[in-house]
Amino acid sequence: MTAPDRSAAALAPDADELFLTGADWEEIADAVHDGTITINMGPQHPSTHGVLRLVLELEAEVVRSVQPVIGYLHTGIEKNAEYRTWVQGVTFVTRMDYLAPFFNEVAYCLAVERLLGIEAPERAQTIRVILMELNRVASHLVWLATTGLELGAISMMLYGFREREAILDLFESQSGLRMNHAYVRPGGLVQDVTPDFADRVRGLVTELGSRIPEYEDLLLKNPIWLERTQGIGILDADQCREFGVTGPVLRSAGVAWDLRKSQPYCGIEQYEFDVPTDTGADAYARFLVRMEEIRQSLRIVSQAVDALPGGEVMVADQKIAWPSKLGLGPDGIGNTPEYIRHIMGESMEALIHHFKLVTEGFAVPAGQVYQAVESPRGELGYHVISNGTTKPYRVHVRDPSFVHIQPIDVMTRGHLVADLVAVVASLDPVMGGVDR
Amino acid sequence: MTLADLEADVRAGLPGLDTAVAFGELTVQVPADRILDVLRRLRDELDFDYLVDLSGVHWPGGDHMIDPQLSTTGWPEHRVLGGRGVIEVTYHLLSTERNVRVRLVVAVPDTAPEVPSATGVYPTANYHEREVYDFFGVLFPGHPRLERIFMPDDWVGHPQRKDYPLGGVDTQYQGGQAVPPPDERVWSREVAR
Amino acid sequence: MGLEERLPAGILLTNLERFVNWGRSSSLWPATFGLACCAIEMMATGAGHYDLARFGMEVFRASPRQADLMIVAGRVSQKMAPVLRRIYDQMADPKWVLSMGVCASSGGMFNNYAILQGVDHIVPVDMYVPGCPPRPEMLMDGIIKLHDKIRQEHFADGRTAHPDQPVDA
Repeated sequence: MTAPDRSAAALAPDADELFLTGADWEEIADAVHDGTITINMGPQHPSTHGVLRLVLELEAEVVRSVQPVIGYLHTGIEKNAEYRTWVQGVTFVTRMDYLAPFFNEVAYCLAVERLLGIEAPERAQTIRVILMELNRVASHLVWLATTGLELGAISMMLYGFREREAILDLFESQSGLRMNHAYVRPGGLVQDVTPDFADRVRGLVTELGSRIPEYEDLLLKNPIWLERTQGIGILDADQCREFGVTGPVLRSAGVAWDLRKSQPYCGIEQYEFDVPTDTGADAYARFLVRMEEIRQSLRIVSQAVDALPGGEVMVADQKIAWPSKLGLGPDGIGNTPEYIRHIMGESMEALIHHFKLVTEGFAVPAGQVYQAVESPRGELGYHVISNGTTKPYRVHVRDPSFVHIQPIDVMTRGHLVADLVAVVASLDPVMGGVDR
Repeated sequence: MTLADLEADVRAGLPGLDTAVAFGELTVQVPADRILDVLRRLRDELDFDYLVDLSGVHWPGGDHMIDPQLSTTGWPEHRVLGGRGVIEVTYHLLSTERNVRVRLVVAVPDTAPEVPSATGVYPTANYHEREVYDFFGVLFPGHPRLERIFMPDDWVGHPQRKDYPLGGVDTQYQGGQAVPPPDERVWSREVAR
Repeated sequence: MGLEERLPAGILLTNLERFVNWGRSSSLWPATFGLACCAIEMMATGAGHYDLARFGMEVFRASPRQADLMIVAGRVSQKMAPVLRRIYDQMADPKWVLSMGVCASSGGMFNNYAILQGVDHIVPVDMYVPGCPPRPEMLMDGIIKLHDKIRQEHFADGRTAHPDQPVDA
């Protein structure tokens, strides 16, 4: 196949197809086509949910076609992971979908654990579930907040972030960071939770549960919200399948497909929860589905924290387990003095182990796996290939946001520009995941 | 349905293909000229309604030593042995009806890689194929608009190939120079605080 | 203010400088340039819990023409760099740049082909705030230090002159 013809003849006003790329913008903008104008909704825009560039072909205010241009946040994470050890990969993948870092970490670690042929201890799995579901709530709150902001419900922005602060407080108390935690490692968790974890989680669940009626009061029957979201951005079940769309968007079209039910991970099958669906397939239906998902996630968290078993949080195999025993000292988080005494004074072998595991890392048997989890946006999949060494050979991430950018065109045809904002918001793309 | 059943189904419906089961997953090796037919039959006869992922992996030929990258990581790189010289274009399919997954692998030579475009069978392949083109240089005849998707349009090279360097800047400290403690550093502009 | 290049330096205008600087620093309007994870922390800083409005910065202007401060929050990729420069050029003088997070300051953990190793390669930066992502309090600390920096500016600094044009002494 030859490269696309970008000569002037191909770009003439009567040409059938226009190739829209960044470099030849001036030529495109001059080619006024059939009474439509081509407008750029640039990467820097308050309402495109991040650095998403949309090239709109408008007839008055009605959108005739949308060409998304992505890549403005491309970070080269997949390639960079090939130059780091398996454990360091966690710090990279956690920054892809930055609103749901725990999902990235857990999916990556599950893939690595499958290649290693180990399973994290039950306590670690349960804590992973709790943190993931709380992360889902936090992500949906940010979605509510930013969607509200973009559609004009600015008070929703303040409420959403207020609740999220409570969740981030909990994350910070356990992992040390509010976002991008690198808390989940292959084999389990880097350190155990604090003794007051269960009480804090229960308090958090109660607090969040009491706030959901507030949001519903604000938005559920709000006539402006209804006007702006009902009938907007319809994507029915067949179209969802064609475009590879999963997650709340698929469930808003009536298909009850959730990886937590069909291909469960981390022991999530032992908790009782429903998978909310709606038949509207529009932006309002997605709003309803996400609100209900917040409730169901809180339900899972309260069951999980009651079922939290004792035990270790890192796998027992000393050749894989992250060696350091971290603790909170007067100068911050670091190796506990007892552990330092052990490796420096008592056991040469432990010192060598620690050194090798931290600098070189463990080797993972050769092979490839695909591990998927149900992230707040849909199916988040990790295709991890090892060639038997201490660094990944290839880490490819199937991010749901990347796939969900494709149907924007189909969903927006015939709508107004303001509805385009609602459509993009209802898809909930996170550009870090789109561009990786 | 179990993995063994799935493998039997696949071998029955698609004769003459190498299948392998590892780590609880079924991988099918498909030659490039048969991939569209295989995808179509998997979609229509075996109910694989989702193309979940389409990606590439570069296995360079020869005893390939990846660029040491001492300046960015300071670590020895790993050597890729075995002269394969292929780019494996990998398709992950999902059947929501039967709750199973399958992986198709199309190995094309990395000097002139070409795989027919799957957009006719699964429209979602559009962006994925653009990504594989951008990062590996694989051409997909039949794709409606095959352009770079992540890198700027005038970028030269395909970044995720193994012979493409990681890039970045040299961050090594030269000659053991020490960074002075904060209270002895020279600031370009004093901020009175 | 083009007037500034023509005003004499020295103590004659000290009180005027202090007044103008007080005005500028007290209502510094940020331009929304949230790119990645730092953008979420920037939004959290502007939200109710860590309120930026008390420093006069609640209005995040989407249009760079109306903004004074560009907080580059997040990693700047090769494709985004020309856009960043264009937004910076579109801002009216006086303008400041705060580089939030390690990715904007130095490329952060992404020392590779795709990320600009520091946004100061393309725009002049007045304040660097480290962190991955920086806590809202860290960002506020950086902003307050930037306020202090603005309060010490003089008209004769030539700060508001175009970088390509010579400054009259």
